[in-house]
Amino acid sequence: MKRLEKLPAEETLKFLHQVVDGVCGRAYPRYQDYNTVWNLTEWMEVLEQVATYFKSTVGKNLSDEEALQQLSELSADSQRVIVTCLKGRKPDIRHALIQRTDAISSARLQDFDWQLKLALSSDKLSVLQMPLLNLDLDVSEDGDPKQLSVEMNKEELQNLLSALEAANKVVLQLK
Amino acid sequence: MEEVDKILIRSLRLSGTDIPDEVQSVREFTTELIVEAVVRCLQVINPSVGAGLSHILPPGMSARFRIGISLAQACQDLGYQGEVGYQTFLYSSEPEIRRLLLFLVEKLPRDASEDAAQPVGKSTALHRAIATTIKEQLAVPWVPPTCRTPRLQLLQGSCLLKQFQARPLVLPRESDPSIGKMPPERKEFFVQFLPPVSAQLSRPACFAPSLLEQNMADLCTDQDWENEWKNQGLGSRMTPEEYRQWKHQRLQHRLLDQLRQAAPQAGPAPQGGTARDLTQFLGTFGAGQERMGALDKGSRFTHTQHLAFKQEAEPTAQIHTLPVSRTSEEELQERQAAEVEILESELGRLVGQIEEIEGQLATLGLTLTQVEGEVRQRQLGVTELEQTLRVKGRTVELLPDAENNMAKLQVVVESSAQRIIQLAAQWEKHRVPLIQEFRELKALHDSKELESSQRLLEIRELHERIRSAADEAKRKDDLYKQLLLELESLPKDVSRSAYTQRILEIVSNICKQKEEITKILSDTKELQKEINGLTGKLDRTFAVTDELIFKDAKRDEAVRKAYKYLAALHESCSQLIQTIEDTGTILREIRDLEEQIESETSKKTLNNLEKILNDYRALKQENTALLGRARET
Repeated sequence: MKRLEKLPAEETLKFLHQVVDGVCGRAYPRYQDYNTVWNLTEWMEVLEQVATYFKSTVGKNLSDEEALQQLSELSADSQRVIVTCLKGRKPDIRHALIQRTDAISSARLQDFDWQLKLALSSDKLSVLQMPLLNLDLDVSEDGDPKQLSVEMNKEELQNLLSALEAANKVVLQLK
Repeated sequence: MEEVDKILIRSLRLSGTDIPDEVQSVREFTTELIVEAVVRCLQVINPSVGAGLSHILPPGMSARFRIGISLAQACQDLGYQGEVGYQTFLYSSEPEIRRLLLFLVEKLPRDASEDAAQPVGKSTALHRAIATTIKEQLAVPWVPPTCRTPRLQLLQGSCLLKQFQARPLVLPRESDPSIGKMPPERKEFFVQFLPPVSAQLSRPACFAPSLLEQNMADLCTDQDWENEWKNQGLGSRMTPEEYRQWKHQRLQHRLLDQLRQAAPQAGPAPQGGTARDLTQFLGTFGAGQERMGALDKGSRFTHTQHLAFKQEAEPTAQIHTLPVSRTSEEELQERQAAEVEILESELGRLVGQIEEIEGQLATLGLTLTQVEGEVRQRQLGVTELEQTLRVKGRTVELLPDAENNMAKLQVVVESSAQRIIQLAAQWEKHRVPLIQEFRELKALHDSKELESSQRLLEIRELHERIRSAADEAKRKDDLYKQLLLELESLPKDVSRSAYTQRILEIVSNICKQKEEITKILSDTKELQKEINGLTGKLDRTFAVTDELIFKDAKRDEAVRKAYKYLAALHESCSQLIQTIEDTGTILREIRDLEEQIESETSKKTLNNLEKILNDYRALKQENTALLGRARET
């Protein structure tokens, strides 16, 4: 953490916010912007430590004093900057952590997309006019994104919907 | 009638009848035109009925006759009340045809001709636009990818297909109920560092889906919360924050229960905090998975679990690495085997010992609790015995001077009884107001409870009303907009205002006529009354005169003559009146007949008769021709 003080004071806050952005699933800061300040190993260390600090502080729900205690090696200015960033981004970090805990199971649905298609004819019928639904499921399996694609006709879609509704009912009962 | 005919002709034109421009009124309708108009109307009103009818009149007389009959039947099926038959169409009279056409035009579905031109709501317009676009695209033949023009490539290629992938967005909000008030640091972050939504994502393709998803999620949360608050939250009589907290706690409890139930193999829960319990459970869950390392900073639980693993793993690793560095491989293996054996036997021994000791511990614990119970019971017995001992000792002390002591005791007993009574009275004195107060408070509480539940009901009702009012306002707003659109796109028709003006004129005319009619009626009534009065007066005067003269007539000859004249005068006068009345009725009859003649002439009876005669002759000819043909064959 001590290396963080190499950064000019006015840039520290921006850097910290970028790290938090990375924690929250957006872009981490880029090395080429900071390669005059740190070399590569230092950069990796700083990034890792800062990220870990934010995650552990928010994850353990530490109070402000406890959060400050972990920064005792830093100067007062840096401490103030870090605490400011922490207070400002606490909800975001917390949300990201909860999301990640939520995704603890081995396979998890991240997103879905659908397309409606109309099959005009088949190899046996010249005029078919059958509506088909193409459902894409973005599943992350142990962190690797994977796409499952299912094509359904009307009845199959109805089955799927009723199954999902039943599942939703169970979830509502849990509440 | 001209106005009516104009409207009628316009409606008929809209329903598809081809009426020539020079035809201005129903009077000028030819038989062909009438049949065509009726058939077109029937086709629009009821396509299944109209399908079997041809709107062109056939040349053959019998075919014409059949068409007339089927048309009449169709009209009657539609519910036409008036008289209708083949003659209505073939030998038409103006009023009848007008009545029939009016009936049919009223039956025309109003929207069919006008709906297409009318503007509709936004969503329907969108649907129509989508439908037309799809139809257009379907009309274009499919072209292989290499032969496509750029426009076709855009239309049929897959370049417009994009994956729907949402990423989380951060939006600045004033406050969030789940977090509470916003600290100033967060506000500063929003102001200085938060990039606009469009710059928050690394891939621009994600932007629209992310935004849609975010809005959707917000909307769902809001609706869910509103529903829940109205159904359960209000009934709980808590403020929203309290309710949220309560629900949070309840959820945590339930979650914990579920986890406990799901993991009975994790062993009985230790007395320590719930966090440790959870950690244990999670430890069993992810023990075999090295991949869990990817999640190690994900949560407090996994974090602590990971730390615990590390601490355990490190010392064993050290033990193993020490001998490895010094000895050769074979030795190492032997030694390892030996060591493993020794360690295993020791482990078995230790496990046995531990089990034994655990058994002992359990039995000892059981005995301990038993013994403790016994001791407690014994102690109770001892205090009881001590009590009896004290009483008995006292009795023994008092035994020598029994009489005196008895008396003393009596006194003591009496005084204590007195005191008890006094105390009871005192207690009663205190108790009554207290009970009173208690009852009052209880009543107050009850009434407050009642009031609060009433308020609750009121609040719910208000909520309901707010929602319904909001819905209605929205609906009316939509309607207003739609109507405004409609109004703008309506043709600024002159005829419409002319019609309304004409209608107003007609109404005022009718009013005037009504007034006149009432005036005439009242005049007639007055006249009738006067006539009645005069007749009565006449009768009475005649009776009196008759009597007077009759009295004198016996004595005087001249008077007798006068009486005779009087009788004659009376008779001739009444005859005169009778004649006048008869003339009036005859005049009325004449007028009626004239009207009838007029109406009959307006029915073109002569014309029609001639036509009928012609048709009759044509029919006869057809029949003879048919007969001849039949004979020939």
